[in-house]
Amino acid sequence: MEDNLNQVNDPTPQEIQKDDKAVPVISVDNLSMRQLMELDACTRCGECSRWCPAYEQDKKEGITPRGRAQAFKDIVKAQHGLWAKLLGRPRVTKEQIEQFVSELYECSTCRQCYEVCPVKIDTVELWERIRRSIVDAGCGPLEQQKLLIQSVKSYDNPWAQPRSSRTRWAKGAKRQKKIAEEPKDITRQKAEVLYFVGCTGSYDVNVEPVAINTVKIFDAAGVDFGILGVKEKCCGSVLLRMGDREYERIAQENIVQFNDLGIKTMVTSCAGCFKTIKEDYPKTGKLNFKVLHTVEFIIELIQAGKLNLKNEVKLKVTYHDPCHLGRHSGVYDAPRKLLTMIPGIELVEMERNRENSRCCGAGGGLKSGYPDIQNKISQTRIKEAEATGATELVSACPFCYQGLQVGIQALESKLTMRDITDLVCMAIEDKKS
Amino acid sequence: MYMYFEATALLYALTVVTLVIFFIGVYSHIYLWRKGKASSLHHKLLSGPIIQAFILDVLLQVQLLKQSLVRWVMHFCIFWGFLGLLAHTTLLAIMSHFVPRDSSLAQFIFLGSGKYFLDVWGDLWGLTLLMGIVIAVLRRYVVKAEQLDTILSDTTALLFLFLIVLTGFFSEAQRLASFPYEPSMGYSFVGNPLASLLRPIPALLFDYLTVVWVHTLISLIFIGYIPFSKMWHVFVSPVEIALDASEKIKFGETYGG
Repeated sequence: MEDNLNQVNDPTPQEIQKDDKAVPVISVDNLSMRQLMELDACTRCGECSRWCPAYEQDKKEGITPRGRAQAFKDIVKAQHGLWAKLLGRPRVTKEQIEQFVSELYECSTCRQCYEVCPVKIDTVELWERIRRSIVDAGCGPLEQQKLLIQSVKSYDNPWAQPRSSRTRWAKGAKRQKKIAEEPKDITRQKAEVLYFVGCTGSYDVNVEPVAINTVKIFDAAGVDFGILGVKEKCCGSVLLRMGDREYERIAQENIVQFNDLGIKTMVTSCAGCFKTIKEDYPKTGKLNFKVLHTVEFIIELIQAGKLNLKNEVKLKVTYHDPCHLGRHSGVYDAPRKLLTMIPGIELVEMERNRENSRCCGAGGGLKSGYPDIQNKISQTRIKEAEATGATELVSACPFCYQGLQVGIQALESKLTMRDITDLVCMAIEDKKS
Repeated sequence: MYMYFEATALLYALTVVTLVIFFIGVYSHIYLWRKGKASSLHHKLLSGPIIQAFILDVLLQVQLLKQSLVRWVMHFCIFWGFLGLLAHTTLLAIMSHFVPRDSSLAQFIFLGSGKYFLDVWGDLWGLTLLMGIVIAVLRRYVVKAEQLDTILSDTTALLFLFLIVLTGFFSEAQRLASFPYEPSMGYSFVGNPLASLLRPIPALLFDYLTVVWVHTLISLIFIGYIPFSKMWHVFVSPVEIALDASEKIKFGETYGG
């Protein structure tokens, strides 16, 4: 791995670096021709700034996708452009790069900018690639974000929890009789379906009901499923979003592990894991199974007659589209369809929904790098949810669950945060007399 | 009575210089792009989505219309106005250089009713371009739309376009004002009223060729400047739109709808 890293920083930039006396050189090797062209394709129309959730809270031109593209273009032209080669490089200061880096990471990679860009610049992939160059140059990520990265590398999860605690939620749920049995270890007993719990659902006690509910639903439907237990590792999303090269190693190891299981379907609760495994892993290696989000799989179970939504759930709910499920993966209808399948549910939409759904601010390292900004973004979303008159705010991602809770607590909102599996459980469970 | 601007050796020389500068600018971009080592495409290029996106998002700019009618009108006018004028100039250049003057086509274009068509065509697209520029200037400098962040290249691009269209109309008016009014001048529905304003004021009547040279020089400088300016997006953005249409991941909304 170390050798690979050295190969990426080719000698030319290193030579330049010597001349520049500690001004880091940002390699463009990690980017594609198309991505470098995208920097020129930006028309500076500013539509991205109208929708950017971070810019909405922190009015700095440098954090808009337009400003970020312009700043990066200025840096790479000065360090790698034709005129720099022929006429001598214009000065790029260390401060200029530091400012760019801080602005580059003030982004939740929510992909709203791509949705509204008239030129359809694939912004998030561009930011991720630029972040990789920044990390290669030793300029990123931000100090606070390094803790998450280090944790994934040391513990296979971003929450600095020991590997042995990954199944604590299942053991606790069985002890408390919330589930009949712990899910089987799929590495010992084969199953058709792998439930990939994800780090947040596994370790965060506030979010572990997502995993418990999912197991209850699968058990009720008689699904032949298993989990990886303590052998489950982070999907690597955190590393990919923040530009760490270690992502490739994790992805490759996971792909081998998953493919060896002989499963037909992988189901994930977390929109981030879903996006990473379904959309990003195939760029690293082939998967021999299909990947579904829990909402998609539950609909499949209902349609196959395996799950009976028998109880009326009289709640007025509004649905928050997780960025990685919606904009990144195109799944908008399935969660809404599932909600409307539950008897008694009244679904009301927020002003911004589906492709234009406001981000909760938790993704892309924003929550760890800029917790105050994430808090404000979350509060804005909560106010939008409150305006619908709903009593429940429903989502389909443990990470959004965490992120939105921040806003609920800050505002002391009366909204109840729920994962969609919670409502499904309410509809299927036998009522206690 | 119609005078047309004849190409001279100086014009050829300046055009060559302009094109050399233009292509050096283009090369400077490609030079940087080629340093990107990652794969540009994840999928095989698909002609269907590319053609569809080119028609809807490049030629018709539907994506802008969905966002804002004003922005769509502005961009549509600048885009088509400039293309219309480019086609006008290109046609005249081809006619002047490659089509014999005594051919029936040249007779039709220069002396027949074809010239009326060209008069209307030139004024129509010139006015369209001017309308787009005016909206852009109002949005950027008067209304100061919140989403805009003006840097020098934004102002320079608009200034160039404005000067090109202004000197274009002014040169047309000068040409018409060199002659007494006749009804066929009405086809130049912008140039003719301008000529009517100029005729009574001798101080505003310049040598037609001088005015055309000014117009030509500004246009040539602009063309050479394009790869170094924000107008470079005219070439690059359609490529990105087309690639995105082809590359767009086939999102798996498996159980939706």
